Amino acid sequence: MVQSTTPAPGGTGLDSGEPLLRTVDLTRHFRLGGFRSRNMLHAVDSFSMTIGEREIVAVVGESGSGKTTVARLLTMIYPPTRGTIYYRGRAVNHLHSRRDILWYRGEVPLVFQDPYSAMNPVFRVSHGVMRSLKLHRPELDRAGRQREAQRVFDTVGLSPDMLAKFPYEMSGGQRQRVGFAQALAVQPRLILADEPVSMLDVSIRAGVLNMMARLREEEGVSLLYITHDLASARYVADRIIVMYAGHQVETGPADAVLSQPRHPYTQLLLSAAPDPREEPVDIPADSGEPPRVINPSEGCRFAPRCPLAIGVCASVTPELSKMGPAHEAACHVAAEDVERGRPVHRAFSSSPVAGASQSSALPTSETSGPQGRAPVG
Amino acid sequence: MTDPLLEVKDLTVDYQAEYADVRALDHVSLSVAPGEFLGVVGESGCGKSTMLFAIAQLLSPPAVLIGGSVRFTGKDMVRLTEAELRHMRWRDYAVVMQSAMNALNPMKTVAAQFADAIRAHAKMTGKEIRNRSAEVLRLVGIDPAHLDSYPHQLSGGMRQRTMIAMALLFTPQLVLMDEPTSALDVVAQRALMRQIKELQVQLGFAVIFVTHDMSVVSHYSDRVMVMYAGQTAEVGGTRRMFTSPLHPYTRGLMDAFPSIRGNRRELTGIPGSPPDLGHLPSGCRFMPRCPDAMPECAARSPEMFAVDEAQVRCLLYDGQAHQGRIGETA
Amino acid sequence: MAIPAIGSNSALGGAGVSAPNTSARVRFLRTLFSSKKATAGLVIILVISFVAAFPGLLTHDDPNAAIYGIEQGPSLQHLLGTTLVGQDVFCQLIYGTRLTLVIVVVVSVIATLLSMIIGITAAYLGGLADRSLSLLTDIFLIIPTLPLLIVLAFYLPSGASTMILVLCLTSWAFQARQLRSQGLSLRSRDFLASARVRGERPLYIVLVEIVPTMTSLLAASFLGVAVYVVGFAAGLQFLGLGNSSELTWGTLLYQAQANDALISGNVWWELSPGLAVALLGAGFALLNYAFDEIGNPALRPARRRRDRSAS
Repeated sequence: MVQSTTPAPGGTGLDSGEPLLRTVDLTRHFRLGGFRSRNMLHAVDSFSMTIGEREIVAVVGESGSGKTTVARLLTMIYPPTRGTIYYRGRAVNHLHSRRDILWYRGEVPLVFQDPYSAMNPVFRVSHGVMRSLKLHRPELDRAGRQREAQRVFDTVGLSPDMLAKFPYEMSGGQRQRVGFAQALAVQPRLILADEPVSMLDVSIRAGVLNMMARLREEEGVSLLYITHDLASARYVADRIIVMYAGHQVETGPADAVLSQPRHPYTQLLLSAAPDPREEPVDIPADSGEPPRVINPSEGCRFAPRCPLAIGVCASVTPELSKMGPAHEAACHVAAEDVERGRPVHRAFSSSPVAGASQSSALPTSETSGPQGRAPVG
Repeated sequence: MTDPLLEVKDLTVDYQAEYADVRALDHVSLSVAPGEFLGVVGESGCGKSTMLFAIAQLLSPPAVLIGGSVRFTGKDMVRLTEAELRHMRWRDYAVVMQSAMNALNPMKTVAAQFADAIRAHAKMTGKEIRNRSAEVLRLVGIDPAHLDSYPHQLSGGMRQRTMIAMALLFTPQLVLMDEPTSALDVVAQRALMRQIKELQVQLGFAVIFVTHDMSVVSHYSDRVMVMYAGQTAEVGGTRRMFTSPLHPYTRGLMDAFPSIRGNRRELTGIPGSPPDLGHLPSGCRFMPRCPDAMPECAARSPEMFAVDEAQVRCLLYDGQAHQGRIGETA
Repeated sequence: MAIPAIGSNSALGGAGVSAPNTSARVRFLRTLFSSKKATAGLVIILVISFVAAFPGLLTHDDPNAAIYGIEQGPSLQHLLGTTLVGQDVFCQLIYGTRLTLVIVVVVSVIATLLSMIIGITAAYLGGLADRSLSLLTDIFLIIPTLPLLIVLAFYLPSGASTMILVLCLTSWAFQARQLRSQGLSLRSRDFLASARVRGERPLYIVLVEIVPTMTSLLAASFLGVAVYVVGFAAGLQFLGLGNSSELTWGTLLYQAQANDALISGNVWWELSPGLAVALLGAGFALLNYAFDEIGNPALRPARRRRDRSAS
């Protein structure tokens, strides 16, 4: 598949070992109220991550976690309050010239969550694709654009005659594929997908998720998959980043994060995610209240809900610390366990052991669930 | 065998559009026993919400109830007058909407809205109203101090729970819920479902819970009804349906769930999309997407067949035809 | 408790229900013609437009020729009688149609364009630009219309051009607010963010992405202004602020009134232009209602259908 060969203007390119996308201390605050208000909403704080070539990274969190803000920051809908975004080695968050901005938009497109709202109802679905081609592939003539439009539709599994349809004539799954087609039309390196399957019926999601994995294989694009659903993140992603209240709380390879979750919030998400094929799991009563991110003080933002919280959790904000190979979590208790070489505490159990809702702070080893996961030392 | 609390027979609803009428609900029947939790599951457009509103007698044009009966506490609700319905509403049955923000008045406090609901259906003094309102809020785990809050001051989960509290003001026998958890996050969803189940066990009301996400009801419902293209596809006990689904559609839905803990395997989902209700295929409505389709599925529209305690609308379970099938290649 | 619109098509959207092979435009036209109001309004407008375009087909007389009998009542030769100086009233009415209609259409078009540019730009740009444009809009809204019209018409040379200018100034503000509201509601729609994220310029977004989605609202605005202008133009001219050497229904009304037509019993001289104005206004108003119904199906008249027994 043809990769975009436009060199990054003023950048070092990828030969120097620089990852495709890298964010350093990415932060975004919103002022609530008028000009003089002191209330700052901390949507995202110190978000640092990398995405490599041909990699699918999932950012998982509930609403209010900051994951959508991260997507908006990466598409430069608004600038960050602090921090830098490096794309192919070049800092992009302060681009001004039309040429630069257009270059970036042609490399990092966004797929929206609501497939119906993301298309102008007045035009046929080919409109967005054609405009993207016109703006970002100037080398193509009219016939060339037509061919490309058909090609990207075919890539996402839509027949070319659907180009002439109107949005209301298509199903949700089809519309979302059009969204991906539009992103593909610019020959991107990285596609940002903001909850692309959340508004689709469950039976349709599989098809779109499979398509996303295929895009990575066949087109060589990387994907940043933003979602609140851990199961689908596990299905498509290589790495998972879990966010809570604007912070990264855990990051690592998908299987590692889900089989050995170190952060209590990850454990909570895992236990709450229903799998219809399993017996119900009893979790300790959790209020499910969203955290306070307006003028937050120091300290772990999950502490109020955390059964394992100790004194330091309320006063010192935990940093990401190593839990395993390429696996990090921001939790004082887990960090201490790893340091001392003992089994990591388990705040919320996700394995259906009868009546074993473990909310005590005593160290317990992981119980092996029906799938036969070995206990972790 | 106790009498069912709610018995719906052959409920049929048409949407009267410009060119032709579209049958959104085609002879749907169901029954709910007292205190039973029935989950109704299906993709968008299958008619599950329409059915809920039809049962609650809340349809408005262009949706029109064409036929069928809804027997509830001995009366056929389809034949009742508006005055009689109003008497039953909220006292005998209540409805919880999909989005609290659609149903709660953003301009009024919680207390004021509860008071409105109470006054519309009973005579109580101000103090009694206040007490009852505080009581139902406590039931759903909300501090009664929030009676004086406005809806936007509450979190999403709390708003939904307020809706449920409002439905329980008169402890009705039946609560109809239309996807009350779809706007919530996984953790809040889990907490809310748990709360609903606890209340149900405690107060003894029956629940009809409509959702597109079967995992939400899988742990709480006694029975599940799967709908497709305006018809019932399968009805049966929850556990059995999840461990051995009968209808190919149900099987497809089960297979569409990426597993969080099990082995990672390729998901197939269900290819294609639900049929255009204005242009239904002859024969079985699911046939175009069915991996187990037989030639006669195109010719004959299946009725519901009984399989143990379950019922399934699929020719694979047609007793007579099944006999003849043994020995044939699939 | 608000009941969600179970009647709307969104409930069926997932199943892909739609009339086969028809675009939005065709469905729109079909709906338009099936509405009685729309048909009536359209017929009225078309007939009047025809009269304006081809006055010579309907009458052979010269409207200004004062050669007929004075103040004659209706007769076969003079369908509506004659004026004080012997002009054929019917003829004057026919020939006056053109300028009347021209004034109405020109003002409506300019006012709608103006309100569209100001309203949508304010909504899209937001911030300081929005605040200044809204302030401008509010100022023009608050100014009392009739006194302003009278004052301006008094100082400026009387005639159709002044009328047009004055009416444009006073009729754009209301629609601008409406269009701004609509524009604001669109801001959160993802397709605008989608356009931005793919690299479109703001001007492009306003003209190509926003405006076409508001065509029905713009059409309704146009019709709303037209109704207003029909009445006001005639009213101003009736008050004598028009130029009586120009022939419009309003000036005809003025002439009749100034010459005490009603008192002297020459009723049709005064009544006919009045009725014509009412008819034209009604035509635009009917079309306006029809557009509302198209845009919001909840307003459509409920069709009574017999409940069919379950098949």
